[in-house]
Amino acid sequence: MAAKRDKSSEVLPMTIGVGIHKPAPLGFGLGLRPEHYSDILDGNPPIDWFEFISENYMIPGGQPLRMLDAVAERYPLVQHGVSLSIASTQQFDEDYLDGLVKLAKRVSPKWVSDHLCWTGVHGVNLHDLLPFPYTREALDHVVSRVAYVQERLGRPLCLENVSTYVSFNESEMTEWEFISELTKRSGCWLLFDVNNVFVSAHNHGYDAKRFLDGIPADRVIQFHLAGHSDMGTYIIDTHDAPVRREVWDLYAMALKRFGPVSTMIERDDNIPPLAELVDELATARDIAERALGQKFPARTASIPTFAAVE
Amino acid sequence: MKLADLQAQFQSAILDGGDSVLALIPNSPLESKETLFGVYRNAYVLRLIGILEHDFERLHTYAGDKIFDSLARAFIAANPSHTPNARWYGQELPEFIATHPETAGYPALIAIAKLEGTLNDVFDVVDAPVLALAELAAFAPEDWARLAFLPHSSARRQNADINLTEIWQALADEETPPAVRRLDTPEHILLWRQDVMPKLRVLAPEEAMMWDEAAKGVSFGVLCEMLATFDNPDEAPLRAAQYLKGWIEFGLLQSACLAKKHAKKK
Repeated sequence: MAAKRDKSSEVLPMTIGVGIHKPAPLGFGLGLRPEHYSDILDGNPPIDWFEFISENYMIPGGQPLRMLDAVAERYPLVQHGVSLSIASTQQFDEDYLDGLVKLAKRVSPKWVSDHLCWTGVHGVNLHDLLPFPYTREALDHVVSRVAYVQERLGRPLCLENVSTYVSFNESEMTEWEFISELTKRSGCWLLFDVNNVFVSAHNHGYDAKRFLDGIPADRVIQFHLAGHSDMGTYIIDTHDAPVRREVWDLYAMALKRFGPVSTMIERDDNIPPLAELVDELATARDIAERALGQKFPARTASIPTFAAVE
Repeated sequence: MKLADLQAQFQSAILDGGDSVLALIPNSPLESKETLFGVYRNAYVLRLIGILEHDFERLHTYAGDKIFDSLARAFIAANPSHTPNARWYGQELPEFIATHPETAGYPALIAIAKLEGTLNDVFDVVDAPVLALAELAAFAPEDWARLAFLPHSSARRQNADINLTEIWQALADEETPPAVRRLDTPEHILLWRQDVMPKLRVLAPEEAMMWDEAAKGVSFGVLCEMLATFDNPDEAPLRAAQYLKGWIEFGLLQSACLAKKHAKKK
């Protein structure tokens, strides 16, 4: 049973991320998926970096951790979780936070991210990225929770905007106003999921450009690109298909506003062969080169060498 | 409304179907709030079914889509997730199948679920060293009778009273599984991880007995004596040595040490 000792209401420095230099862009990456382990480690594909799902490696041992260590030797990594539940009113699961910290120490990711959402209350985890009203109360709550997690991690947290299907009558500000205020007060970084902005904008009937313009450019350190399913009157964020043209267009706009930002394609279901995702990543590279007027050559993985054994 | 109350209502609407949260949500320009909230309700169940399908792939194949879906939905309704890591959500599924009124009478479903759940555990159990033959050679011959062995951290034993491994292999080969047969003597199954690969072996009754006793810390000398009661006593030490060699080659042992004399069986 997880120990529950929430200290998020204690007075903590709120500025752990303020004044820290923005991490340098990593280039063009992919989500690390078990289906691709051997292609990555045997093939040295033209991928600049990988993002791994924290929870997939918060396990005692075995092949997943072995593979993660091997990829970490060759590529820059970014750690991305799904169960931090930063906006939940439930106390933090300290065992979970311990696991996050332990994993970050193990592979030294460039940054640690999760989602601006909640996943459950009363000891339940709904394994979904749930929306909440953008109120002053929620803002104060999330700022204090981010500060606590940043203290535990010893580094700024990076938070991603999620796709939402409902909004709340109680909201006192827009999502981008909430995010903007959150980054100012907590010093957290932002993972700007271009697809999620497109999905939420469609579902709630606002212009995605307004969201884009409302986000502080100096806090965005990562882009996600993904596919979705258009149901006509609403869009579901499925992350199981190629990136759509409208999302590529929004990505080009985001590049012009935020400049070169570490970009990755996030495929969570219907995982295609690695080569297919590498091709899609080349599209992202092309769009970035055109939008920003500069070249982004693919990096070569640093394959570890072994001393000859006599 | 306080954020805590709103989240409680939202969660309740997903888990229990209550609609009070809808009063807090506007329609979108194109769609009703009922339909939009339904996205969360559907996603909850479908995501958990997906987790169970991933973790119990062979069980899913054996049961078929319809039965597995029904089983998964019953499990989900009775077991909201309490873990932040989806890896552990299906841990109780084998026990649920064994006790649920609609499945308790189906020994193959119960046995496959148990075997698959154990293999999941074996897959990512904590890493541990493996005993090498050379380490055993370091013990003096006169000490061998007192040697005791620690099974590898991944090793798991279970018995099946049906033709489980035959069914399991057919599922692995994507063939039609054979009919379920009750066995007069159970199948003794040993599961473990060799390097990073989960493995499964069926043990003969004698080897199973020796393994189970060795896992309790019984010394090699006593194990030889026990084998002597099983079959030809003159060849018991040779058989014991062969089993031991096999265990080492398969990476089934973690370490060996000299057992305390008082731990010996009389």
